[in-house]
Amino acid sequence: MREPVELSMQDDNPVTDLEILDPGYKRPGYWRQRHAAIMERVAFELARRRAAARESVAAVLTGWSRSLIPVGVAAAAIAAVLVATEARRDAQPEPQLVLQDILGDEADEGSFESLLSTGRTASAGAFMALVEGGTP
Amino acid sequence: MREHSDAELVLLARSGDGDSFGELVRRYQRAAYAVALSVTGKHQDAEDAAQESFLVALQRLDDCRNPARFAGWLLAIVRNRSRNLIRRESLRGGEQIPVSARTSDPGPDRMADISALRGRLKEALNTLPELQREIVLLHDLEGWKHDEISERLGIPSGTVRSHLHFARKALRAELSEWRGHA
Repeated sequence: MREPVELSMQDDNPVTDLEILDPGYKRPGYWRQRHAAIMERVAFELARRRAAARESVAAVLTGWSRSLIPVGVAAAAIAAVLVATEARRDAQPEPQLVLQDILGDEADEGSFESLLSTGRTASAGAFMALVEGGTP
Repeated sequence: MREHSDAELVLLARSGDGDSFGELVRRYQRAAYAVALSVTGKHQDAEDAAQESFLVALQRLDDCRNPARFAGWLLAIVRNRSRNLIRRESLRGGEQIPVSARTSDPGPDRMADISALRGRLKEALNTLPELQREIVLLHDLEGWKHDEISERLGIPSGTVRSHLHFARKALRAELSEWRGHA
């Protein structure tokens, strides 16, 4: 005698009968095989996505290098100019301070002439007093 | 090891991570089949539609605006693919609702009995509206809970319960009638 298939369709119980609509019912490995078939079907798209992701990483790096290289070159050029200028300045001899320069700085041109022409520096003592900042 | 969320898997799969997409397939291949079956009513069509839907989902993965709701988004694709399949088949003159020849002659053994019940269940399911069919299959075949169905299909939980109640009632009626004749 056939064993009857139980039909349990109570609302408060899972409808176990629907199990037999599961293709994996009494077919162990069915879902594993389906999974493999799906993964095989999508393999190309996954590979395309991997390649696109690699390209986008490369594009980011290229983008960075594209903007970094000119900035780096400009910075290097500026640095080179500054270093060369500094080196040239170092190579020049220190200016020697002589009494004439100091005197020249403090007394403008024509002072001597005006002093001599006014006749106020008739004496050597008065001239020296003028030069040293005093009054004759 | 911590199990990745759907959203994490979707983000990884977007960059071509096969393991992540494989995990999404593992999680939802049964639900995809159940939804496809609820639309097509035929095992082979449901199998094809589910498989193609995963390919379409991967191709359009960047369009999945809320990766946390991947399941609902995927099942919408499955539904559309299945309907397209039916439309194409009906244009070719194929039958939409399967009629099992085995239902009238179940045979002497249990396997035949199961085959007969399977055929009858499919016929009974085909008398239900598509949404009820989908809900009853996701709940009773796939084992999703009311709240999961509600969240993933974007339907209020009360509506899910109501559809499930009416679907089971209709199935009970169909099957008891068949048992009476068998």
